[in-house]
Amino acid sequence: MGTEVNERKLIREAQRGSRDALAALYAGHWGNAQRAAYLVVHDAGAAEDIAQEAFLAAVDRLDRFDRRRPFAPWLHRIVVNRAIDWARREALRRSAGDPEQSPAEVQAGEPAAGELMPALAQLPPEQRAVVVLRYLLEYTPGEIARMLGLPRGTVNSRLRRGLDRLRDLVEVEG
Amino acid sequence: MNEARLRALLREEPVPGAAGAERRGLELVGRAYAERHPPQRPVLPRLAIALAVAALLAALLLSPAGAAVRDWVGDVFTAGVKNAEPALSGVPGGGELLVQSPRGPWVVRPDGSRRLLGGYSEATWSPHGLYVAAASGRSLSAIEPNGTPHWSITAPGRVSEPRWSPSGFRIAYRAGRSLRVERADGSGGNLIATRSAAVAPAWYPPGPHLLAYVDARHHLVLAEADSGKRVDATSASPGVRGLSWSHDGGELLEVAGRGLWLRDVVPGKLTGLFLSERARRLGLPGNAVLRAAALAPRRHTVAALLERHSAAGPRSEVLLLDPAGGPPRRLFAVSGRLTELAWSPDGRRLLLAWPAAGQWLFVPVERGLRLRAIGDVSSVFSPGRTEAGFPRIEGWCC
Repeated sequence: MGTEVNERKLIREAQRGSRDALAALYAGHWGNAQRAAYLVVHDAGAAEDIAQEAFLAAVDRLDRFDRRRPFAPWLHRIVVNRAIDWARREALRRSAGDPEQSPAEVQAGEPAAGELMPALAQLPPEQRAVVVLRYLLEYTPGEIARMLGLPRGTVNSRLRRGLDRLRDLVEVEG
Repeated sequence: MNEARLRALLREEPVPGAAGAERRGLELVGRAYAERHPPQRPVLPRLAIALAVAALLAALLLSPAGAAVRDWVGDVFTAGVKNAEPALSGVPGGGELLVQSPRGPWVVRPDGSRRLLGGYSEATWSPHGLYVAAASGRSLSAIEPNGTPHWSITAPGRVSEPRWSPSGFRIAYRAGRSLRVERADGSGGNLIATRSAAVAPAWYPPGPHLLAYVDARHHLVLAEADSGKRVDATSASPGVRGLSWSHDGGELLEVAGRGLWLRDVVPGKLTGLFLSERARRLGLPGNAVLRAAALAPRRHTVAALLERHSAAGPRSEVLLLDPAGGPPRRLFAVSGRLTELAWSPDGRRLLLAWPAAGQWLFVPVERGLRLRAIGDVSSVFSPGRTEAGFPRIEGWCC
């Protein structure tokens, strides 16, 4: 509750022109926005672009933002939908016979991915997105359904299939 | 795997370059905020706002461009322009079009005849339309407009955004994330930047071989194409996704989803060029998304394709902006989604794409010319294919 009240205050102050309030909002949400995008698109550059675009959209609409609503779901909806669009476009390019480098090849020289990314890469973008929304951002299936404009049953089935696939692919301790 | 373990893996997965990205993002967002949200805003009474809007509408409808809008709006509706021509029997105003379809690029001659160049994913004209540079996977090729291939090279990454220099002697392109330049005879080239943003490079029109591009740190860079040496660099405008030079090289247009910025490019006292640190934001309606924008050939007019949303669906309009000032001229508007915009070589028409209606619209910018709509565009460029995507306009040449 305290966090929500504080966030409303930050939004109100940012609407009144406080750069400090905007910076605090940014600091509180950038990390999850970028991480969520990265886990869906598997491309750090694209994830940065997507998170930036989401924050720019937030700045653009700040004056009209309803302070009674929480900021994070609004931002995450933009991030995840754009990430899904980006990942679909990349998949289409590759399926059209375009031998583009995989993101792993593109990012040669950058820090090696952990065990999760190769497994997530086996899931379609839509499944990655619901897994990220559920287990990173902690939204309920009903909230995810509203954010993505999907029936709740579809969200549940994507979650179940995604988890089953990840269980098969990731070796984990008990 | 249990859910707790999955949560931990998602939280702990390293995001490459996260710290730098956060810093760059904050800088960008801070600049956008400073421009869009000044601390104090004068509060106008509603009556004053209504009067101002009414005055603006009256001015638009009484201007030559407004008169054109008044005429044309009556002729269009969401399903497309009435009485569209069923086939492309010629390019209105002349010139040749380069069109990217799912099957590859097509050249459309002034008489409307067409030739498919092959299985390339992107293409661009050379100056005067003598050749086409085309990309396919990691290959960059030079082809004659009749389809005869001249040379092909293999790049170190997927080739995209090829752009032929105004001199005709160089081709810039992205290979993966790098930016490279190839000599136009295919005899070799050089690396300009190891990482660049997903923005097409733009050649400095007056020459010599200078290239503007956006690097991975979101800097707008002016570089010598043959040496890769940076001539100047400054922070790019927020969210830039396209660059377009004025014909004289005096200004560089930066196109973003929410705005247009025009940056002066000035010669130095001794030699070289400098990018102005501050770009001017061109005034656009606040509730519109910018779909496309381009500077007119041989003029400083900017055409901007905007989209607004309402309960009735998207509405598109084309504004002509004079960077020197003055209100925008509203050239054209439809209820529906227009997606692309291209100037004719003589700057007298705009070609607009309307995928939902299956139409291309050749919209006159000058009085005395007729609006022409061409229907069934998808099937023209993908005959016999049911899954055809709407063709993309790559260029309108000469």
